[in-house]
Amino acid sequence: MKRKLYNELIDTHQNYLTRRHFLRDCTLGLGALALGTMGCSGSEADDPTEALLEKISHYVPRARNIIFLHMAGGPSQLELFDYKPTLDRLDGEICPQSFLEGKRFAFIRGVPSMLGTRVNFNQYGESGAWVSDLLPHFQDAVDDVCFLKAMQTEEFNHAPAQLFMHTGHARSGRPSMGSWVTYGLGSPNKNLPGFVVMVSGQSAPSGGKSLWGSGFLPSLYQGVEFRSQGDPVLYVSNPNGIDRELRGKAIETISKINQREFEEVGDPETLTRISQYELAFRMQMTVPEATDISKEPEYIHKMYGTEPGQRSFANNCLLARRLVERGVRFVQLYHRGWDSHGSNDFESLDGGFLQRCNEIDQPMAALLKDLKQRGLLDSTLVVWGGEFGRTPMQENRGGKTNKFRGRDHHKEAFTMWVAGAGIKKGMTLGETDEVGYAPVSGNVHVHDLQATLLHLLGLDHTKLTYPFQGRDFRLTDVHGELVHDIMA
Amino acid sequence: MKNKIYLFLSLALGLAGLSQCSSSADERISYNRDIRPILNRNCLACHGGVRQMGGFSLLFEEEAFDTTESGKKAIVPGRHRASEMYRRLVETNPEVRMPPDGDPLSKKEIDLIARWIDEGAKWEKHWAYIAPDTAMTVPDIAEIEWAKNPIDGFVWNKLESLGMQPEPEASAPVLLRRLSLDLIGLPPSENLRQAFLEDQSMTYEQVVDSLLASPQYGEHWASMWLDLARYGDSQGYQKDKLRRNIWRYRDWVIDAFNRDMPFDQFTVEQIAGDLLPSADDAQVLATAFHRNTNTNDEGGTDDEEFRLVAVMDRLNTTYEVWQGVTMSCVQCHSHPYDPFRHQEFYSSMAFFNNTLDRDLTSEFPRVNLLSPAQKREKDRLGNYLEAKRADGDTVTTEFKDKLDAFMAIQPGRVPVMQDFHPDSSRITRVFDRGNWLALTDTVQPDVPEVLPQLSRDSLVNRLDLAEWLVNPDNPLTSRVIVNRFWGRIFGNGIVRTVEDFGSQGEPPSHPKLLDWMALRFMHEHEWKLKPMLKDIVMSATYRQSGKISAEKLKRDPYNALLSRGPRVRLSSEQLRDQALYVAGLLSPKMYGPSVMPYQPDGVWDVIRQVARWETSPGDDRHRRGVYTMIRKTSPYPSHLTFDGTSREFCVSRRIRTNTPLQAMVTLNDPVYTEAAKHLAVNMAEKSSKPAEQIQYAYKRALLRPADDFRLRELVDFYEEAEEHYQQHPEEAKALLAENETKEPQLAALVNVASIILNLDELINK
Repeated sequence: MKRKLYNELIDTHQNYLTRRHFLRDCTLGLGALALGTMGCSGSEADDPTEALLEKISHYVPRARNIIFLHMAGGPSQLELFDYKPTLDRLDGEICPQSFLEGKRFAFIRGVPSMLGTRVNFNQYGESGAWVSDLLPHFQDAVDDVCFLKAMQTEEFNHAPAQLFMHTGHARSGRPSMGSWVTYGLGSPNKNLPGFVVMVSGQSAPSGGKSLWGSGFLPSLYQGVEFRSQGDPVLYVSNPNGIDRELRGKAIETISKINQREFEEVGDPETLTRISQYELAFRMQMTVPEATDISKEPEYIHKMYGTEPGQRSFANNCLLARRLVERGVRFVQLYHRGWDSHGSNDFESLDGGFLQRCNEIDQPMAALLKDLKQRGLLDSTLVVWGGEFGRTPMQENRGGKTNKFRGRDHHKEAFTMWVAGAGIKKGMTLGETDEVGYAPVSGNVHVHDLQATLLHLLGLDHTKLTYPFQGRDFRLTDVHGELVHDIMA
Repeated sequence: MKNKIYLFLSLALGLAGLSQCSSSADERISYNRDIRPILNRNCLACHGGVRQMGGFSLLFEEEAFDTTESGKKAIVPGRHRASEMYRRLVETNPEVRMPPDGDPLSKKEIDLIARWIDEGAKWEKHWAYIAPDTAMTVPDIAEIEWAKNPIDGFVWNKLESLGMQPEPEASAPVLLRRLSLDLIGLPPSENLRQAFLEDQSMTYEQVVDSLLASPQYGEHWASMWLDLARYGDSQGYQKDKLRRNIWRYRDWVIDAFNRDMPFDQFTVEQIAGDLLPSADDAQVLATAFHRNTNTNDEGGTDDEEFRLVAVMDRLNTTYEVWQGVTMSCVQCHSHPYDPFRHQEFYSSMAFFNNTLDRDLTSEFPRVNLLSPAQKREKDRLGNYLEAKRADGDTVTTEFKDKLDAFMAIQPGRVPVMQDFHPDSSRITRVFDRGNWLALTDTVQPDVPEVLPQLSRDSLVNRLDLAEWLVNPDNPLTSRVIVNRFWGRIFGNGIVRTVEDFGSQGEPPSHPKLLDWMALRFMHEHEWKLKPMLKDIVMSATYRQSGKISAEKLKRDPYNALLSRGPRVRLSSEQLRDQALYVAGLLSPKMYGPSVMPYQPDGVWDVIRQVARWETSPGDDRHRRGVYTMIRKTSPYPSHLTFDGTSREFCVSRRIRTNTPLQAMVTLNDPVYTEAAKHLAVNMAEKSSKPAEQIQYAYKRALLRPADDFRLRELVDFYEEAEEHYQQHPEEAKALLAENETKEPQLAALVNVASIILNLDELINK
């Protein structure tokens, strides 16, 4: 009965709230509607309860889900993937003036020295990808991976660069990629949030919660944080002393009275509220079930290196797989502590950096393997990378060489990798110069990567727009070229 | 999908039909009404502010009528056949036809353009840049029985022209609750309820006056202003350190609302209080408005870069808040749709580019200031102490206590605006494509050409800008401000896009009503907000029932016609305040440092740990939401869930959503559980009969008793719950967490109270 009423409402009148917002803009953008821009065909989302239902993409998607492993702080590509024997030979030499002219750095001042690496590299797999000894597990996964060795960003400070990576804009206020994707596509599982965020590592990502904020999109698209301690989702548990049975009855009573309220007042928003309470009740089951890794078999725990109850990147990787399995559209992980300046042991290439490598190596390799063995890698995109890379020079903060070995932030060239649905396997795109300072070929700008990820999910980045303050905004602003070379 | 498109089309056409009557054959063509929408939709992307393809642009009159690159004139007034624009629209060769992509314009659209040209191609400024007509006619309401004030005349006329009727007045309890939530953000006090609903010793108007005079009024409206002021208790960005003294600005806002400071003064003091001749402390404190921009304390950031980010934010915020102009569009190029040139961004920015602050961690410059309430209290105590000292009466305990209290009131260093001396002003240059490292022409402070000009007797500064904003000749300010308040009350502005009065914004649903309100606000109410709000809530329009008939839902789905009363979900602050109030927990304490109510452990773990969340002691946990600490990178969770903003940037309207996470908050957030428990204890005290207990709570929450249906549902639930707890006494113990007698009964009541706090009728006003 309720369902029928509800459907009638959908057909006869437009809902309030979110819906109204979409509609307002669509009435302005009828021309755009004819062209099928997402701003309007996204109007499938205009009903709040249906907003996260799956929507029709712009074209056939290659990927259904995405797991973005963000290494907050900016890991050094030179110690991990971008093998530069010449840099090792130049260790301690004065940096050529040409590297410094017209350039701005976060901390380097005056003339720094070049900094060689102290790690071994070898080629692995059939693809012969270079990986350093710091990632022994990941070495086995290279044939599933596509390396982007000439990534470029525009920001060399953490918070702006992280915002740029995740929202396409260096200041807070724009929706994050996960918000854009769930706005554009909805999410296959109605009983879990479509965009989930998990954080591990030291402290926090610099961009704060704006990194998973919905900006000017309705707040229903904001990333939902799954926490390692306490409630996995805030307020998902009933208060002590109210069990599920009683809560179910309470919600039934609320729904009955709300139904009566609707019959008296006629506000369709009331019907939406009824469904949202019922959905909340279901989520109280599905969230704890989805986040409980204790029932995973032993071999899985061994593979990932997980320990139930811990706040770790490993646990979050396993959770990412479980969520993707259940249809969560966008899973965003942050692992922080990569800011290897050399200003102290924790922030040095010989200290904290090695620990970080150790923390991520096994879980991320396991994640790829596990997705693959379940057939999920064909429908899931996995992305790995920091907000920028590191300089081939030793950092000399304020003109004085830092105490420990470390590198400054570097926006001109860094390495990311992508794997899974729609991505060529065992390939490397892009090359940097002999010391890994500047790209030589195959540059991929952050906006290009964003455009490509959206494309693989079936979204045209030029059409996934939202009208705000008089213009249509998009994740890639007015930029972004598809990186066809890496698409299978 | 097809159905949806059809739906949109019919809706769009329906709306267009409502807001603008398309011209009939014998009526003159209006550029604004008939032509501009066609051009905006089809032409401006290439012939606007960003691109002027073929040397043709439609943003400015002189450009539109100028000779284009081809040597031809696009528009030859009086002769559509000689106009290149017409020729290109009807061209059959798709290579030459305009627009180049997509379908040609419809015959109807092309005919309109041709007629407009033939009638002389009369150019019109966008409606919002033309000042309201002071000689406008106000509808005569003597003839309209329903009407209570002129607002209703405008509304009635429109409804009548569409053959529609307004709704009857809402029932007294519903109306009183709505009124109180709208004016003070809280349900009415027990006294007001009694006086209006039971003994009828107060008229509606007396209730309105009483609410407007209540100190809770300022607390409520401050929340709205603080969204615009992007006020929070921290600096933003990576470290997001706390701004421990900025609450004094928040208190300034509450105080200004409560004193009904005229809005022109409110404006001038916040934008340029520091530049007023012999500015007092409160006027300096007001300028913290623009120091609410974020400070980037991350290592390795270029302070000049982030100083400029803050300066540009001040410019954008000022134009959004007071002018409804999206100035940020002009940072990189001329405005794509509205008549603002690239260079005008920088001449406008020059007003703000002369302050001493430069993104320093210390937030220099700061001034040691008392909040208005602190100053009042200090003066009061000081007078007392003076008098006693004069009498030589200084050895009493009372004197000592007051002296201690006097000494305890300390100023705090608040970041404020301070300018360089005019002789050493910063030079402002145009940034090429918005890039702050690519400096080009030097510009002087000035306002955009499309708006009234400044008198240029002397060098102009921020104070001139502030005064220009509230000059009665400015066509935008009073409209934009009136519309903001209207929007908060009705759920939507008369211009729905409250932040954008430009050509991409929505046109006003009732343009004359907006103008009448704007003129009256300036000239009759002399910029005072309370009488303006009183006009609104006294109207029959406002007092209508919120019931939505199926017919009206079809014809007026968003209440753009004001054909019913406002029924809107409460804000995050209102919801929490209401729950605490209903439970009898809300602390009436006003002003002072921000407080930290209960927040689950670990919420701040994912942001920099330069500060800790330490739950406030005692009543401070139960203060109104406006006093809750806002750390910009991690605001109070339930505030975000109910569409509150992070305060990192100016937000004109919170988009209301309706989500399962919201249900989890009002069901499970310990604040709401605590409220339910207290309400249950009160219920138990009032009576021992479940039906009476339930009626007490229901009435406390909604001002009216539950009807039979609701009562039966709640009693049935109560009985089930009681039975449940009889069988599971350990659960009752866990819920109540103390040695209560009658545990099963009380535990059941907690559940009932929670249900009442989750009813749709309570979540909406």
